[in-house]
Amino acid sequence: MRAGDRGAFEELCDRLGRRALALARRVLVDDAVAEEVLREAFLAVWRDPGAYDPASGSVRSWLMDLVHLRAVEAARSGPGRRRRPGEAPPLRASSGEEGAAGGGGPDPVRVALRALPDAEREALTLAYYGGYTQREVAALTGAPLGEVKSCVLAAVRRLHGELGAGPLGGALGSPAVAERPGR
Amino acid sequence: MSGSAPPRGEEHGALDELAVGWALHALEPEEETLFAAHLPGCSRCRGTVAETGEVLAALAGALPAAVPSDRLREALRAAAGDTMQVPGRPAPGAGVPDGASPGGASPGGDTGRPGPETVPTGFPEPFVPVAGRPAVPPTAWRRVLPNALVATAVAAILALGTWNVVLSTARDEARATVARQADVVNALLTPGRATVVPLSGDDGAPVATVVTRNGEVQVVNHGLPVNDPGEVTYVLWGTSDGAAVALGTFDVVSPRMDLQAVGSAATGLDEHDGYGISLEPGRLAPSAPTDIVARGEVTN
Ligand SMILES: [Zn+2]
Repeated sequence: MRAGDRGAFEELCDRLGRRALALARRVLVDDAVAEEVLREAFLAVWRDPGAYDPASGSVRSWLMDLVHLRAVEAARSGPGRRRRPGEAPPLRASSGEEGAAGGGGPDPVRVALRALPDAEREALTLAYYGGYTQREVAALTGAPLGEVKSCVLAAVRRLHGELGAGPLGGALGSPAVAERPGR
Repeated sequence: MSGSAPPRGEEHGALDELAVGWALHALEPEEETLFAAHLPGCSRCRGTVAETGEVLAALAGALPAAVPSDRLREALRAAAGDTMQVPGRPAPGAGVPDGASPGGASPGGDTGRPGPETVPTGFPEPFVPVAGRPAVPPTAWRRVLPNALVATAVAAILALGTWNVVLSTARDEARATVARQADVVNALLTPGRATVVPLSGDDGAPVATVVTRNGEVQVVNHGLPVNDPGEVTYVLWGTSDGAAVALGTFDVVSPRMDLQAVGSAATGLDEHDGYGISLEPGRLAPSAPTDIVARGEVTN
């Protein structure tokens, strides 16, 4: 998105806004705070689109990273702002939500997530959707911290392979590593 | 191993975990500090962070899409209309528009930013703050990189593998170790001009790091063997033009990384062109070192 291109900005809002808001609402209890997070993140993008570096991945992952960071910071900044473990977020909300797969077949990401070993799925989802640090995940699950970290890495590595994401020169796409089983 | 070439595969396992944790925003602050020092110089970890980001974005996409409220949509449009873009980085504190405050501060108020009336918006709708709700406080970007010199020292310590201890031991043990390492890192990150000198043993392996700052001398031990304080003591020496001056004594009581203040000297530290550590009988420093176990030169 070029500086000053309001059309591109609005397209970005349209294309990614719903997913980004879903992410913020998953991490945060209060929908209003989630909307604030989203507004801040998009405004940061609007002000400084040059902050996006194509070498670091797609626009989508950049924006989701920005939204996630701001959401977890908001969650950690005050009590009662984040969901408690096991407290389900609203799956269908007053403001209206739609299925992720748009009515097609089963969503491949959800399928891959469900296929993870329980411990890996739990550690990854607590960290990402819950906004918990790995140390907090360890405390919540009673697992040793080292195990949480290896579970999270293994889960991400499995999903990376499962979803056919392209290698970007890191540990997940490296053949020497990818040949190993997840743990 | 030197810190310059990124290690591969198994050797990099702990850092791979840190890279994924970083992308998840799930590291503790002290881990972030350590990894922030490592990341800029490691293409493997930058790749891991990017790859993890793509996976996480896919996870975000798996959530049921949420429909932004009309209020949010309008706020975004309007704000994009009356908020100036900046060519470079946003100034610190500029991350949150005035309107993010509950009740909405007046647009174009006190920031020196041009008010909305100076920018043709094309959107007639007024800025609509999301009122009456707790606003998200200004985002504190935690990933401030330490200065390059200290970053190098931290990265060197990280590369020594001490971090693996944290990852492989039991939780309580790990917490204690993390806290201890955090103390060391925090000490290294104290503002001020510091000289950081790695010391190596006879086989070339780094065993300690000398940090001098404001006349204080500290030793980060990460490879010296534990000594018996009843028999021997370590002595830190400053060397210049071949002459050695004893700066202080210390004991190594634990095989784990530790930082100790060894002594202070009001003047003269800048004159040393190198440092050495010797193991000496008794509790006092002799006039000259007998058995140098580690040495390093000041580079600049
Ligand atoms: Zn690395």
